[in-house]
Amino acid sequence: MSAGIEIAEVSKVYEGGVRAVDAVAMEIRAGEFFSLLGPSGCGKTTTLRMIAGFDTPSSGEIRIDGADITRVPAHKRDMAMVFQNYALFPHRTVAENVGFGLRMRKLDKATIAAKVKAALAMVELSGMDDRRPAQLSGGQQQRVALARAIVIEPRVLLCDEPLGALDKKLRQQMQFELKQLQRNLGLTLVFVTHDQEEALAMSDRIAVMNAGRVEQVGTPVEIYDRPQTRFVADFIGDTNIFRGQRVTVDNNGTGIAAGNGLVLELPGPPAAADGAVLSVALRPEKIRLAPKVDTLHPKHASANGTVESTNFLGGAVLYRISLDNGHRVLAQQPNAGAGQLYAPGAPVMLGWTPADLVILKD
Amino acid sequence: MATSVTPSPTLARPELAGASRSTDQVIAHRSAPGRTGRAIYLAANIAILVFLLAPIAIVFVFALNPTPFIQFPPVGVSLRWFEKFFSARDFMHALVFSLEVAVLTTMAATVLGASAALAIARGNIPGSRIIVATMLSPLMLPAILTGLALFQAYVLLDVGRPVWGLVAGHTLVTIPYVVRTTLAVLHNFDTRLEEAAQNLGASPTRTFFEVTLPLVKPGVLAGGIFAFIVSFDQFPVSLFLVSPGNETLPITLFNYLKFDLDGTIGAASVISILLAVLVVIALDRTVGLRSTVKL
Repeated sequence: MSAGIEIAEVSKVYEGGVRAVDAVAMEIRAGEFFSLLGPSGCGKTTTLRMIAGFDTPSSGEIRIDGADITRVPAHKRDMAMVFQNYALFPHRTVAENVGFGLRMRKLDKATIAAKVKAALAMVELSGMDDRRPAQLSGGQQQRVALARAIVIEPRVLLCDEPLGALDKKLRQQMQFELKQLQRNLGLTLVFVTHDQEEALAMSDRIAVMNAGRVEQVGTPVEIYDRPQTRFVADFIGDTNIFRGQRVTVDNNGTGIAAGNGLVLELPGPPAAADGAVLSVALRPEKIRLAPKVDTLHPKHASANGTVESTNFLGGAVLYRISLDNGHRVLAQQPNAGAGQLYAPGAPVMLGWTPADLVILKD
Repeated sequence: MATSVTPSPTLARPELAGASRSTDQVIAHRSAPGRTGRAIYLAANIAILVFLLAPIAIVFVFALNPTPFIQFPPVGVSLRWFEKFFSARDFMHALVFSLEVAVLTTMAATVLGASAALAIARGNIPGSRIIVATMLSPLMLPAILTGLALFQAYVLLDVGRPVWGLVAGHTLVTIPYVVRTTLAVLHNFDTRLEEAAQNLGASPTRTFFEVTLPLVKPGVLAGGIFAFIVSFDQFPVSLFLVSPGNETLPITLFNYLKFDLDGTIGAASVISILLAVLVVIALDRTVGLRSTVKL
């Protein structure tokens, strides 16, 4: 039932030469929860609309299970979409909305009724059949939209920021339910979002997009821990980015001179020639803090600094620290309990493992 | 034209009721100056209503008053002018003819106007603003000019003054209403609803009948009601285009007025007003204007 999608060098150029999507290539596997993540205007929604058949690529090909569907009209693609504003038909009841796709497929009335009933039960809306969309809450409308999409057993389910309009609590619940549903049905699901936490929590794989291009495709862990480009490192979560010339440090190791005398030791074999300019990223939570009197493990690269501000997040604390050599870094510590908070002005030592430094492509 | 005011209170009643309720609540919490303001507000509203409705009331009084002249205060109530109106073959013929023309005009204006509005809103047509302005121009021109121009055109084409020519003239001056009301609905139309339908397997044609048409229906119908009323009491365009023996009610009334002035005119006016109101109510009940608008 579920199908894989190949997007081969697809571009979309609008009148006036705006390149909304620029030579995007990716492969979405059958049964996979695949997210398109990026800031608004990055081309993620246009890509989704081209998969759905609402927009036609200017060049490139879209294939589903190997068959070219680039020019197949939307109504013959056998996909289902959950829209950002749900796009429920306001003049039809909940049951009619959910049964719409089945009716278009010319199923008989009894079958439609049975399938609609099952779909509404699946999204926990049994008994709402005769309501109008306007009589439902946002979360209920969202469920109707989902039921309307999955009831046709689509080859691919497309979601355009479907949870964007919900409040945080409901949103988390729906994230969980959607993921559950996708896994149980083995659906191929393409999910567009600008919310990185949502993408990280739900996806099997994520394509991070920026300015019409794909920056990186990978699992949430890969995207977060091994960002390949400066944009990905910056867009996903908080990060410290250092930029400087590659230098040789003691014992033939490599390092990067980030300026003002700060040299960060890099992991592994030399990644570039001496003198090349590199950017490296270091996640705030990979930095350990200690009071200045303590000694950190000598293997750990370290620096000294002063806490500038403390941002209490509940489960964790985010510190803005100004290093003695003038750099500013973010460091995040778990909230380990009473007495563990550093107040602004407190002198601290910072430590990190070279292996946590990630070299970025610019 | 006074009758064309009637549809708007009917259509807008739910919103109006809601709005005045919230105004009440706001004002109730205010002190004396607020109360004075409210009194002025009410007085102004009453004055406007009186201004709009008084002519209609006078017509009713005129129609029911037994004397052959307009007399105030009325001396009694009688239906003699109604009897005279309904027993006069000229009036009956004109009434039926007017209704026929109005129905044909409404159908033509609705289909053409709604199609034009759809094409303008969706077709991505170059110069669509000019097309809209052209289509709406009969509203800005004095209708008598439209009538005269059509009359001259028919003379030049040597077609005489056929019924279809009259209907065409009425259609010309009523299309703007349908175009305006349909465009207004299409302007706020969420095209993602159409995409959703196609996404679920509806062909573009199917999408039109399943989603687009039902959702623009209120706008088209509102325009159709205006078209009916404007056609039914159309005078200036008809003046040039009717042929002897085939005269619309307003023209027949005008001709009658030239020689007689008695309550028959009032009775005919009352019938016209009631018919217009009836059409609005009938359309509302059968096609369910309000249920579609309210959703």
